[in-house]
Amino acid sequence: MSAPLLEVDGVGKTYAMGGIFSRQHFDAVADVSFTLDAARPEIFTVVGESGSGKTTLARMILNLVAPSAGAVRFRGTDLATIRGRRQRLAFMREVQPIFQNPFGAFNALKRVDRYLYMTARHFTPARGAAEVEERSDRALRQVGLSLAEIKGRFPHELSGGQLQRVAIARALISQPALIVADEPVSMVDASLRVSIVNLFRALRDELRVSIIYITHDLATAYYISDRLLIMQKGRVVESGDARAVLSHPQHPYSILLKSSVLSPDAAGRDELTASALPLAEDTSVQAL
Amino acid sequence: MLAVLRDLLRYNREFAAGAALMAFVLVISALSFWSPYAPQDIYLVPPDVPPSWAYPLGTTSRGQDMFWQLTFAIRNTLLFGFAVAIISRILSLVVGLLSGYLGGAVDRVLMSINDTFIVIPLFPILVLFYFVMRDSMTWALLALVMAGLGWAYDARLIRSIAMSLRTREFTESGIFSGMTTRQIVTQEHLPYVLPIMFSTTMNNINWSIGLEVTLSVLGFTNVDTPTIGVMIYWANQHTALVAGIWWWIFFPVALVVITFIGLFLLAVSMNEYIDPRSRLSRMGGAPS
Amino acid sequence: MTAALAAASPVRRATAPPPVLEVSDLRAYYQTRYFGIEREVRAVDGVGLHVAPNEIYGLAGESSCGKTTLIKTIAGVIRPPLNVVGGSVRFRFGGGELSVYESGAAALAAIRWRHLSYIMQGSMSVLNPVRRIRHSFVDFAYRHIAKPMPAFWQIVRNHLERLHLQPGVLNAYPHELSGGMRQRVTIALATVCRPEFIIADEPTTALDVVVQKGVLAMIREVQRELGSSLLFVTHDLAVHANLTDRLGIMYAGRLVEEGPTGDIFRAPLHPYTRHLIASLPRIGDEAPKQGLGGTPPNLADPPPGCRFHPRCPLAMPVCREQNPPLLPVAPGRRVACFAVTSETVAGAAS
Repeated sequence: MSAPLLEVDGVGKTYAMGGIFSRQHFDAVADVSFTLDAARPEIFTVVGESGSGKTTLARMILNLVAPSAGAVRFRGTDLATIRGRRQRLAFMREVQPIFQNPFGAFNALKRVDRYLYMTARHFTPARGAAEVEERSDRALRQVGLSLAEIKGRFPHELSGGQLQRVAIARALISQPALIVADEPVSMVDASLRVSIVNLFRALRDELRVSIIYITHDLATAYYISDRLLIMQKGRVVESGDARAVLSHPQHPYSILLKSSVLSPDAAGRDELTASALPLAEDTSVQAL
Repeated sequence: MLAVLRDLLRYNREFAAGAALMAFVLVISALSFWSPYAPQDIYLVPPDVPPSWAYPLGTTSRGQDMFWQLTFAIRNTLLFGFAVAIISRILSLVVGLLSGYLGGAVDRVLMSINDTFIVIPLFPILVLFYFVMRDSMTWALLALVMAGLGWAYDARLIRSIAMSLRTREFTESGIFSGMTTRQIVTQEHLPYVLPIMFSTTMNNINWSIGLEVTLSVLGFTNVDTPTIGVMIYWANQHTALVAGIWWWIFFPVALVVITFIGLFLLAVSMNEYIDPRSRLSRMGGAPS
Repeated sequence: MTAALAAASPVRRATAPPPVLEVSDLRAYYQTRYFGIEREVRAVDGVGLHVAPNEIYGLAGESSCGKTTLIKTIAGVIRPPLNVVGGSVRFRFGGGELSVYESGAAALAAIRWRHLSYIMQGSMSVLNPVRRIRHSFVDFAYRHIAKPMPAFWQIVRNHLERLHLQPGVLNAYPHELSGGMRQRVTIALATVCRPEFIIADEPTTALDVVVQKGVLAMIREVQRELGSSLLFVTHDLAVHANLTDRLGIMYAGRLVEEGPTGDIFRAPLHPYTRHLIASLPRIGDEAPKQGLGGTPPNLADPPPGCRFHPRCPLAMPVCREQNPPLLPVAPGRRVACFAVTSETVAGAAS
C-alpha cells in the first residue's frame, strides 16, 4: 500500500448539550476510522440516516469542524495544524466539497459563473480573464456542460441538475485529489440522479479523483460505491466492500436498513403490511 | 438605475407619493441657499405678521421671515438625520456582519459592547452630554453622539441575518472558491442585508430627527443653529401659542410630519422593491 | 354541510361506482406582476383525472412539474398569484356533489376535515408546537365529530389504538416525539373523522427510510379500514410502487401517463415514464443506467407541442407542433404521446 491520501483516525465529535451548567454531552461522531489510498482512487460511501453523524464527519474531513477526538490527516498533514490563509488555500486546492441542495450552493442574487472564476483565480495559475474562462470552460466540459451555456446566468435560470453539474465543475477547477459530496443527489430529480452518479464514476476513472459519497440512499450507494461504511448514531456499525456489505449485511442495523428500502419491483404486489413492521423503533417518547 | 427609478415611480404608488413628499421637502431645504437673510439674524422684518402675500408663512416674534427661516431649519434637520443614519448604518453593518459571520470570540466581544449600548438609557445620556459640553455642543458633535448610540439594535438584527447566511451552502461554496472573509461578507452577504438596511435607514433618520426635535424643544442643544426643533423652542420661549402666533408652531410641525411620512413611504416601497424574494421574481425566478 | 350536498344534483347510476373526485381539464396558472413585468407560469395545464372510492391514486412527477400546485388546486387552498383559469374539480360525498370552484367557500369549508382531509409533509404545520397534542385533536376534530367530550375522547382513543398508537401521545408536546411518531399522529388526526377523501402531499419525504416504511404501512392500513380514497403525491417512485393502486405521471404541468401502478412499472408506455422506471437503481442490480439528457422545461415559457419533445428519443415533427392528448391505449391506461397508440401497444403485447 502506497502513501495514504486521507486518514481518518479514530475521530469523534462531542457537543455539549443544554445550558452552561449542564454536563450533558452528545456524541455526534464517535471513533470513526478509515483510510483512502492515494494511488487507487475510489468512491467511498458513508451511509446513514439523519442523526447518524455522517454530515458532521464530512465537515470534519473538510476542516470546517474540528474533531474533539482523534485526527484527520490529509497526505500526512493533520488538519488541526493548518494555520493561516495560505495553508488553508493549499488544503482547499486538494479537497473540495459538493453540497446537498444545488439551489442553495450558489447565491441566488449572483451569477453562477462568478464562483467558477473565483475558484480559478484562487487555485490555479490562471490570471487574465481569458485564461480564467478557459479553465472554467474546461471544467464545465468535464461535467457535460460548457461555459457558453451558463455564462451570465443566475441560479434560478438553471435546472437543479445543471446547477449540481456546475457545482461539481467548480469543485474540479482546482484539480483536487478528493471530493466530499454530502447527499449530492438527494434533492436532484430521479431522471437526473443517474447522470450525476454516473459522472462521479467518470471522475474517478478518468480524472482519478477520490470521492467520499455521503448518502442515505442504499440503492445509489450500491450502484456506484467501491467501499462503504454504515453509520448509526455516530458509530460505524459495518464497513467493507460495498457490494458485499449490501448484499449480505451482518449487523442488525444494516439488515434493518436494507429491509426498509422500498423496492420499485414491489409494484402491484401489495407487500406493505403494518403487522410485519417493528414499531419499537420510534414509539417511545424521545428524551432528546 | 434610472430605469429602476422610472419603474418604481410608475408602478408603485407608495414610492411615488413618498418621492413627491421628499422632493417637496428637499426643494424647500435647497431654497435656503437663495435666502435673502442670514439664518442667525433677527429683527429683519416686522414681527408677528400673519401669513400674507409679502410673508407667505408669516413672521416670527423675533422679526424673522418664517419661510426663509424654515428652509434653513429643515436643511439642518435633514442633514442631521442623514449624518446620524449614515454613521450609525456603517457601524451596525460592520459590527453585525462580522459578528454574525465570524462568530466565536469576535462575536462575544462585539455583542457584549453592543448589548451595553442597547441597555444604556438614551435620553439621560444625551441631556448629560449637553450639560457637560454646554457651549461646545455643536450639531456635528451631537450627530456623532447620536450615531454612537443608535447603531446597536440594528447591528443585532444584521448579526442574526448574517448568522443564518453563514450556515447557507453558498457561503461554503464561497469559502471553497477561495474567497476572503471580506469578499464573503461584502459580496455574498451584504445583498441579503441591504433591504433591512434600507428600511432601518429611513427609521433611523426618523428616529434621529425626532430625538433632535425633542432635545431642541427642551433647549438641550445649540439654539443658535436653526433646526425644526430650535424653531419650536423659540416659539415656546415667546409663548407663541398664547400670543396667537400659531404659524410659528404650525409650519415647522407640518414640515417635519411631511418628512416623516415621506421617509416612511419610501422605506416601505423600497423594501418591497429590494427584497431578495421580490427581486428574484422580477428576474424571472420561482414564483413561490 | 348536508344542505350544501343535498342541494347538488343527484348521483348518476352506473355499473362502476361513481368517482369520488373528478377533475376535468383543470388549468391553474401563477400570474404575477411585479413593477410592470408580467409573468404567467402554467403550473397545471389541462389535467383531467378521477379517483374511485376506496382507491389510492398516486401522483408522480419531478420537482416543479406542477404536482403540488395540482393538489393545492384540488383541495381548494389556492391564493394569488395562483389562479384557476379553467376546468373544474368535483367531489362526490355521500350522495351529494360539490364543485370546488362553483359551490362557494362556505360549502367547501363545511366538508373540510369531515369529508376531505390532508396529510402534509411537515407535521409541525398541523401540530401546534406549544400545546399538547390533545389540543390539536380538539381544535380539528371536536366540532366535526359533534359528540359530548367523554364520547369524543373515547372515539379518539379507539382510533389511536387502531393505529397502534398509545393514548399517552395525547399528553405529549410535538417536540417530545420523533419525526416518525409525529407523522403518525398527524395521520391519526387527519383520519379521526373518518373522511371519505384524503390528500397526502409527500408525507414521508422528510422521514428516514426505516421509519418511512412503517408510516406508509400505517397509511395503507387506515385507508383500507376507512374505505376512503387517497390522493398520494410524491416524487419517489419506489413509494408509489409499494403503496398506490393507480398512478398518474406528470411532466411539465400535464399528465403524460396514467394506469394501474403494477402495469406502469411492468410496462411503462410513455417515453418519459419508460426512462424514469429504467433509471431506478436497485440493490443487487449492477447494470449501468443512463441519465436523461436535456433539462426540464421552464413553465413560464414551455416548448410548443408536446412539452417532452426536446428530451424525447421518439420525437417526431408532429410533436413539435401539437400537444398530444391523453388517450386510452389499453384497458385502464391512458398515455399522451403520438408515438404510443392502442395499435402500437397491442402490437408490442402480441
